[in-house]
Amino acid sequence: MRLRFLTLGWLCLLASSVSAQPEAQLPPDKQALTEPPPPAADVLGSSILSKIRIHGFVSEGAFKSTANEYIGKSSRGSFKLLETGLNISVEPIDGLRVALQLVARSVGSLSEDVPRLDWAVIDYRWQRWLGTRAGLIKMPVGLYNEFADIDSARNAILLPQSLYPVRNRDALIAHMGFGVYGNLPLGAVGELDYNAWFGTLTIPRSALELSDNARLDSVDTRYVTGARLFWLAPLEGLRVGFTYLRAVIDFYISLDAATTSQVVMAQLAPADYDGKLKVSQKPASFWIASAEYIHGDWLFAAEYSHWLKYQVASITELVPTLDENAERFYAMVNYRLSPQFELGTYYAVVHADAGDRTGRDKKQFPKRFQAFQRDLSLTLRVDINEYWLCKLEGHFIDGVADLQMTINPDPKRYWGLFLLKTTVTF
Amino acid sequence: MARPHTVRGILCLVTAWLALTSASTASDSGFVIIVHPNNPVRSVDADFLRDAFFKKTTHWRHGPAIRPIDLAGNVGVHDQFARNILKKTPAQLRAYWVQRIFSGTEIPPPSADSPANVIAYVIANPGTLGYLPSGVSPGAAKVVSIK
Repeated sequence: MRLRFLTLGWLCLLASSVSAQPEAQLPPDKQALTEPPPPAADVLGSSILSKIRIHGFVSEGAFKSTANEYIGKSSRGSFKLLETGLNISVEPIDGLRVALQLVARSVGSLSEDVPRLDWAVIDYRWQRWLGTRAGLIKMPVGLYNEFADIDSARNAILLPQSLYPVRNRDALIAHMGFGVYGNLPLGAVGELDYNAWFGTLTIPRSALELSDNARLDSVDTRYVTGARLFWLAPLEGLRVGFTYLRAVIDFYISLDAATTSQVVMAQLAPADYDGKLKVSQKPASFWIASAEYIHGDWLFAAEYSHWLKYQVASITELVPTLDENAERFYAMVNYRLSPQFELGTYYAVVHADAGDRTGRDKKQFPKRFQAFQRDLSLTLRVDINEYWLCKLEGHFIDGVADLQMTINPDPKRYWGLFLLKTTVTF
Repeated sequence: MARPHTVRGILCLVTAWLALTSASTASDSGFVIIVHPNNPVRSVDADFLRDAFFKKTTHWRHGPAIRPIDLAGNVGVHDQFARNILKKTPAQLRAYWVQRIFSGTEIPPPSADSPANVIAYVIANPGTLGYLPSGVSPGAAKVVSIK
């Protein structure tokens, strides 16, 4: 609690100090005419230290659901919407950049008490059409995955959860490995932006829903690879693209002693069974088709995807083999009313089984509304100044396909989720 | 099936809306482009400027790396440059760089708080590219035209 008050105090202090900066640095043009230019070293410096850039953000907020538990005990209301980040970049020579970002967050049940490395990258851009990155790299997936955790970079507090679920954020935000990227001008027909990458994922323990009688020992991402291609059309502000990602992941699980005995007694495993279980997703993959159009103060975006997962366990009698094909999509519109105010809305849909959108299969979906989740959102963003913003957001939801069933034993079909958040970015 | 005159009506409305919203971003430039005095370039086109300030184009045709410098200290000229050359509103430009900074994909060009500092930086560093408010003397920096 003390940490939270200290953070809020820092946030307010930061907001008031950064908002005062622009006025202090605005000499009139005429003054510049009469003064001789200062030495270059005084302008931006010439040492390596002067090339270091430091940026950061602090967000705090609250959320409450009318029914169902969303990323924690939301039905009682929660102030656990704290996110902080600090990043450092340096360009020691032309084309070479070294950068890293630390984050700490407390978002519902997805909380981390200790700051951790969000990404750390060495990036060399050889030519416009070819650059390389190595390290812990944010994954360029769809329109917005790379900045899914950056509140000031978007209108909504929660990006469409059908494609950018908060629960998957830690698993999908970055990979350890290398990537290539580039931009290719195509003359009159626009440009191509492309990325490809290969590496491993850091999967948090919360990624797999387990009951109380099982414990996740470790996760081994054997590999993750993917590619994204965007066509930047000659029509200003229009981009259309496609992303593909594929990963193979092994989860190593231990059952408790009582459950292990029951498994042996039920003859689901041999008498010397040690309670260890391996669950493999081979592969987990998805593809996303994306389109975005920005014109003046309007932004239109839509994405459509299929998420495929083939999951097999070392004891199939205990954990049945899964072959999932989920359909996920959304459409979004944002409009900036003035420099201070922006409105946004989206309609996001999840179908847990693309072949059974309404939940006809009672075995798979005991309640039909477990087969889908339709989310209509409305956001008001208020930019108090260049560095400080506040947001208010409402979600009107039908269905529970994307909820954690372990904390929602008796889910309700219709529910609402309301969030508010304030962020300082510098 | 939609009737032909209905389709024509919708197209007219869309065209009118595009024209109206585009008109709000068009204005006189209000700035001049400057480069290092030894740069042989005499003119640049708007697409080149845009790509250079977004760090997509990284080198001049004659070889050196492009080093753009922004003039954030003059809000009026900065906004005009953003709208006319970069084709973004100030809010969109801010969001563009916030996205890239915090995703680790790029950092914005360095920024000066006065025209005098832009001139000093441009004179001191080969390959630099900056802009000044119209009417401000460029000193030893070389002014290039926009094609």
